[in-house]
Amino acid sequence: MDNTDRNLIDAHCQGSKTAFAELVRRYGEGLFGYLIRMSGNRDQAEDLVQETFKRVHEKAHTFRGTQLKSWLFTIATRVAIDSLRKRKRIRLVSLNQQADCADGTCEQLETLAVADNSCEPSQEVVLTEQKEQVRQAIESLPARQRATLVLAYYQELSYHEVAEVLGCSIGTVKAQMSRALRTLAQRLPDIAGDIK
Amino acid sequence: MNRHLTEKELIEYQFELVSDSRAKKAAEHLKECSQCREHLQQLNRKLASLDLLREKITVSNEWLTKVAEQAGQPVQRRIIPFRKSAWLSAAAAVLVVGLLLLFVSNLPKEREEKPEFAKETPSLLAPYGARRDSGQESRGVAGDIKLEEKMDVTAAGDLDKSAAETKAFAFAFPEEKAGVGGGLKRAGGRAITEGEIPEQPPFAPASAIELVTLPRRENVQLTIYNSADLTLVRERRNLTLKKGWNWLQFMWANTLIDPTSLVLEPLEQKDKVRIEQLVFPARLRELGRWLIRSEISGQVPFEITYFTSGLSWRAFYMGTLAKDEKTMRLEGYVRVDNNSGDDYENAQTRVIVGQVHLLDQIAELAKRQYPYNRPIIEGLGEPGGTPGGDVGLRAPTEAPAAVVLGDLEMALERKEIKKEGLSEYFLYTIEGTETIPDKWGKRLLSFEVNDILVKSLYKYDEERWGTETIRFVAFTNDEKHNLGQTPIPNGDVKIYSQADDLGYLSYVGGTGIKYIPVNEEVELNLGPARLVTVEPKLMDFKTENYLFDSKGNISGWDEVQTWQIEVTNTRTLAIEIEITRGFGTAYWQMKFDQKDISFEKYDVTHARFKLNLEPRNKRTFEYTVRTYQGEREQALTELMRKGVTK
Repeated sequence: MDNTDRNLIDAHCQGSKTAFAELVRRYGEGLFGYLIRMSGNRDQAEDLVQETFKRVHEKAHTFRGTQLKSWLFTIATRVAIDSLRKRKRIRLVSLNQQADCADGTCEQLETLAVADNSCEPSQEVVLTEQKEQVRQAIESLPARQRATLVLAYYQELSYHEVAEVLGCSIGTVKAQMSRALRTLAQRLPDIAGDIK
Repeated sequence: MNRHLTEKELIEYQFELVSDSRAKKAAEHLKECSQCREHLQQLNRKLASLDLLREKITVSNEWLTKVAEQAGQPVQRRIIPFRKSAWLSAAAAVLVVGLLLLFVSNLPKEREEKPEFAKETPSLLAPYGARRDSGQESRGVAGDIKLEEKMDVTAAGDLDKSAAETKAFAFAFPEEKAGVGGGLKRAGGRAITEGEIPEQPPFAPASAIELVTLPRRENVQLTIYNSADLTLVRERRNLTLKKGWNWLQFMWANTLIDPTSLVLEPLEQKDKVRIEQLVFPARLRELGRWLIRSEISGQVPFEITYFTSGLSWRAFYMGTLAKDEKTMRLEGYVRVDNNSGDDYENAQTRVIVGQVHLLDQIAELAKRQYPYNRPIIEGLGEPGGTPGGDVGLRAPTEAPAAVVLGDLEMALERKEIKKEGLSEYFLYTIEGTETIPDKWGKRLLSFEVNDILVKSLYKYDEERWGTETIRFVAFTNDEKHNLGQTPIPNGDVKIYSQADDLGYLSYVGGTGIKYIPVNEEVELNLGPARLVTVEPKLMDFKTENYLFDSKGNISGWDEVQTWQIEVTNTRTLAIEIEITRGFGTAYWQMKFDQKDISFEKYDVTHARFKLNLEPRNKRTFEYTVRTYQGEREQALTELMRKGVTK
């Protein structure tokens, strides 16, 4: 573990306000990226980051591990999965979401839908459509598989780190990853030559 | 390895999910097997699309600071010491009370009247009643957990209520945070049986997770008021409600929707579904949440009505003159442009001709940061509807009468535009539905009429157009001209004529027309005509009939002018031409004796000649006009009084 991280946690436990702010500054963006891919919704991801750091703030004194990053992602994963479970019961669909998302499972992933200004308008439309398909495919995965995929593929954590975050064995992580990729292979669009 | 690799094996090989030995075997097989290599490439292409979402996601330092501050805020906790003895006493007291009540209910009347029992009962109930009055302790641990959640909601700034109210609310609705009914609940300290809806509504949810599902639009109707950059949108959506309280979120980010105009109404089950409030959460921009009370569970169709800006329409026309220029084919179009920020799919589109009066410009309202001024977090209870607080029910917006929605039509099929009169303006309904994405424009055929009788006319009037002859095409908006069903909205007209038998067109001219009511004649000014010329020449000028005053000064006289007008038609068609001449005075007298040329006094200072001219022909005529100057004006008045002249 990074000594600075340990020092920050210790300082926070001793009542330092700036230490916690530094932790948020250091890991907030990474967690936000993870949670926005998990939830598919920027507003919700903001709430989840807030909830994650709230729990970190309260439970910092219980941290005994060696990897702060893994611990943070573990908490974020729990928060995200709890949220996903709730959302299965009561789902939010905004009126201005895309028509294809009427089943409520695919809120706008606003941050990821930033238009590429270098594209022609027609290409931009195609690109947006493809992103939407990818996002829907990821959202269709079960929560654990989605978490595995996002952590390993997008957050670029090693399988060992993913196992630590999810609290399971590396074998389980690999099995989840394999299942997720096989599902995605069926659902993702074939964009041969389109990716730059 | 003799067999081909499965998809699972290929994926696990590619993503290093297998052991080294299995990876080595797979690699060896791939070297030999082109089919598996191709399969792997295909998988890679598909999975490469995951990279589309690999964009860098950034957040601002301000937001991170805010997260740190809010996470660091101490949570207001209610610590209830769990003292075994107290809880056992309470449980015992409840048990005793229950037994006593049971006993009392089974007692004969005479036993009930016993004074000692009546005195005894309150003393047994006292501990329980005291706890209820003093706080929420008697509700137990579960009740306090809910209380904590509710207090978190308040801390997030989502509610515009005092702490005391919040507590009361938390007490009243320990399970209402999910926003739906059902389950055993407590309301105002009263036990609620399953299926009963609490009377007091829940607060707005703190996060988006707790909102109710809303499916896609069933249909949408646009009524575009062009004159005011105003469009009425009516959407129908089938909303699945649960019995109890439901929250429904509406977002208008990046659109020009006027949030103050939002109206939600159930189309069915109106006696069982009630829209209670529309709230605008303080922290959240560009969204509103409706609170719906439903006595039923299931799907209910709703209509959402609001005004937006950015949708516009304009009419334009194309006229094609027949070769003889006696008839014209007229096509009217409506072009609808969508810059509202929202896509409207399969929308029934109606356009309004006429002026409407607006207090505010919708675009300005839509651009406001918050629907009702800027939220003030600390100063609760601001007048005029504080954001974050309840706005209450809105009266339904007055809107033009609805038209029965037509069936969906194929987009490429030509649409009929139905027209109907409203009180002060006119409504055109485009048949079927149209999909108009944001930033797109769409041209729709409004009407198409053949063989409209037209009159080609040339006009010459130096005071209006100088020395050029102007060409006009005139027709009347009536049944005789195959028109007259509706007024014609203002717009640009382009006139073409058939150049040859093959149907090639030549551009004749264009102009803008104003709103043409039914039975009104319209003249389309097509601009200067070079093939028809008019050339006036002053042939003679003299003055006479002088009058003198007592001092010998001239006080009146007549001017006599003789003009020769030469009209040349170099076209291959016969023409009709109007020549208007002005005299600069109301006291004039014309001498004109050409029988085949009509002459009329057009107005008090002008005369008008009308003549027809054969193709490639020239015609010359003369007139003499006498104008009366000074005191000679009286002489003309006297002549007219005596009926000598007209």
